[in-house]
Amino acid sequence: MIAMNILVCFKVTPDLDQLPPDGWEVDRAALTVETGFVKAMINPYDESALELALRFAEDAPGPVKLTALTVGDRSADRYLKMLYALKFDRAVRLETGADLRFTPEGIAAAIAAFVSRNPHQLIIMGRQSGVGDNAATPLLAAEKLGWPCIAHVTEIRSLQEDLLKVRAQADDGFLSYAARPPLVAAVGNVPHAYLRVPTLKERLGVREKKVEIVAAALPAEEGAGCTLTGLDVIDRRRAGLKIEGATPREKARALYELYLKERLAKL
Amino acid sequence: MANSIVVDGSRMNKIIKLDTYNMQATCQCGTPLQVLEDQLRALGYTTGHSPQSKPLAQLGGLVATRSIGQFSTLYGGIEEMVVGLEAVFPNGHIARIKNVPRRAAGPDIRHVVIGNEGALCFITEVTVKIYKFMPENNILLGYTLDRMKTGFEILRQVMVNGYRPSVARLYDPEDADYHFSHFSEGRCVLIFMAEGPKAIAEATAAAIKEIVARHPECQEVDSRYIQVWFDNLNWDASDVAEERAEILETKNIGNTTEISADWEKINVIYEACVERIRREVPDMTLVGGHSSHSYINGTNLYFVHYYNVVDCKPEEELTKYHLPIKTIIVEETLKAGGAICHHHGVGKYRTPWIDQEHGSAYYILETLKRAFDPRGIMNKGTIFKG
Repeated sequence: MIAMNILVCFKVTPDLDQLPPDGWEVDRAALTVETGFVKAMINPYDESALELALRFAEDAPGPVKLTALTVGDRSADRYLKMLYALKFDRAVRLETGADLRFTPEGIAAAIAAFVSRNPHQLIIMGRQSGVGDNAATPLLAAEKLGWPCIAHVTEIRSLQEDLLKVRAQADDGFLSYAARPPLVAAVGNVPHAYLRVPTLKERLGVREKKVEIVAAALPAEEGAGCTLTGLDVIDRRRAGLKIEGATPREKARALYELYLKERLAKL
Repeated sequence: MANSIVVDGSRMNKIIKLDTYNMQATCQCGTPLQVLEDQLRALGYTTGHSPQSKPLAQLGGLVATRSIGQFSTLYGGIEEMVVGLEAVFPNGHIARIKNVPRRAAGPDIRHVVIGNEGALCFITEVTVKIYKFMPENNILLGYTLDRMKTGFEILRQVMVNGYRPSVARLYDPEDADYHFSHFSEGRCVLIFMAEGPKAIAEATAAAIKEIVARHPECQEVDSRYIQVWFDNLNWDASDVAEERAEILETKNIGNTTEISADWEKINVIYEACVERIRREVPDMTLVGGHSSHSYINGTNLYFVHYYNVVDCKPEEELTKYHLPIKTIIVEETLKAGGAICHHHGVGKYRTPWIDQEHGSAYYILETLKRAFDPRGIMNKGTIFKG
C-alpha cells in the first residue's frame, strides 16, 4: 500500500494575550507591531491541525507520512524538533528572508511551490492566525494548486484507501464530506485543540535530527495584489463612573439629570 | 477525606481597617488578597505579598498555608507580614493575638497559627503590614547563562552583600525553555527586580549588574522580555480552567514541589533530583526547576515536573507518577539537610516525612497537636500523622 503524504503547515506566532491593552506598540510608519518580547507559540488553529494530523495517522488503515512545514526564521526550529519527537517524518522550514506577516499570497505560493517539488495528497493547516488574521492562506494555497479546499474542518478520517471523511463546522451545524485527495483542509474549532506533548526520551531520541531548511525565493509578483498601507489599534477601553449621592434617591436623580434626561428627550 | 466537614470562610470577606498611619491592614479571613491589594494600591500602598494565586487566594488561607509571594526576597513570606490575628480553636476558644510591632513576651505565638494548615485552629481575622507602593521605581534585569551553579552563586553574592531585590529568580534550561523560549536559547535564565524608593532601587540594580558582570557567561537580555513576563505573572480562574481543559485533552499533567537548602547544598539537591527523576520515573515530559526566594543563608528550589499519563487508570496516576517524584525530591532534600516544604505547606502528600523533617524537634510540633486538638478532629492527616 502506498503511503499517504500529508503536509501540515503551521505558523509560530506571538502570544498576543500577553500584551496588555496599553502594551500595543504600533509603528505606523514601518507598519509593525512590537511583539518581539512576547512569548511565542504555535498558532492555536495550527496546533489543532497538527494534532488532527497525528490522530489521522494513528487511525488510518494504511501508512501515512507526515511532514510539518513552516515559513519563517530559526525561532521555529524548536517547534519543528518537537514535531520530530511526535513522530513527524519530515520537519521543514522555508526561509524566504521576506516579511510575510500580511502577505498570504506569498505564503500560499511558497507552500504550493514546496508541494510541487514534494508531492503530497493532503494539506492540513489552521484556518487563520492571530497576526495577519486574514484566513486567506489555505484558500490561496488550494487555488494555486488547483485543489479543492474545505474550510472550518474539525475532523478528518479515512473512509477508504483513497477517500476521506471530512467534517466541517457551519454556522448552525456540521457538514460531512466524502472527499478524494488531493485536498486542502483549513482547520477550525476542533474539539481536540491541544497538541500532545513529547516525552523527554522522545525528544532525546531526535536530538541529532536536523530540521530541513529550504531557501524559498518568492516570485516577485507575489503579494503585490494587496499591499498593507496602514495599521490602527481598535480602542476597546470601557469607562466606568461611580455616581455619588447620600441616598438612593439622590443617586437616581443624578443618573437621570446627568446621563438619561438628554437621551430620553431624543427618543 | 471521609466523615469530614469543610469550613468555608470565604463569606467572611470584609476589610476591617486600612491603617495607613500605623501601616497595617486588618481583614476577615475570606478577604481575597487581590481585593485587599487593589484597595491598597488605589491609596498608594501594597501588602508586598504576591503569590501566583493572588486573584484567587484569601487572607486566612494564605496565613494557614504559610504562603510566600513573588516579591518575597524583599518583603519576606507571610510570616514576616502578619502582625496579629484571630483564630478559633477546636474547643471553641477564640484567641486574638494583638497588633504590635514586636514583643519579647515569651515565644512568638503567631507561629503556632501561621502555617497550621487547619490542623490546630481556624483563622478568622488577619492583620498584615503594608508598604508604600512605588512601581514607578521598579527596575527589571534579565540574563541568560550556562550553569545553575553560576546562577546560585550570583544569587548568593547578591544576598550576602546585603542587597534585597524583590524578585530574584534563577531558572534551569528546561524550566526556562517553558517560560522564556523566545529568548533563553537553551540556557538558564536569571531575573531580578529592584524596587522601593528610587535611590534604593537604583543602588540595588547597580550592585546586581556589577555582581553579574563578574561572571562572563552571563548575557544581559532586553528588560522588555522581563516586563512582559512580569505583567503576566498571576493566574486567575480562567487560566486554571484552561489548564484543566488542556490536561484532560493531552493527558499531560504538571506539578511542582518546592524545597529549600543552604547555599552549599542547593545545587547538590537540584542535580540529584533532576537526574533521578529523569532516570526513575516514566513518561516524563519536563523535569526542571527554578529558585524564586532567596535568603542570606540559602534559597529555595521549585521543581517543575510534567508527565504524560500512559496506560494508567485515573486513580493510579498518583502512585505511578506523582508520589514517586515527590519521594525522590523529599529523599534527596532530607539527605542533604534541606527543608522538604518551602512554601506550599505539608498537605497530605508530605506528612509521611514530617517527623524526619523535624527530627528531635518534632516533639514540639506533636505536643501542639496533643494540646490544641487532643481528639484529632482538625484536618486529619495533614502535618500530623495518624
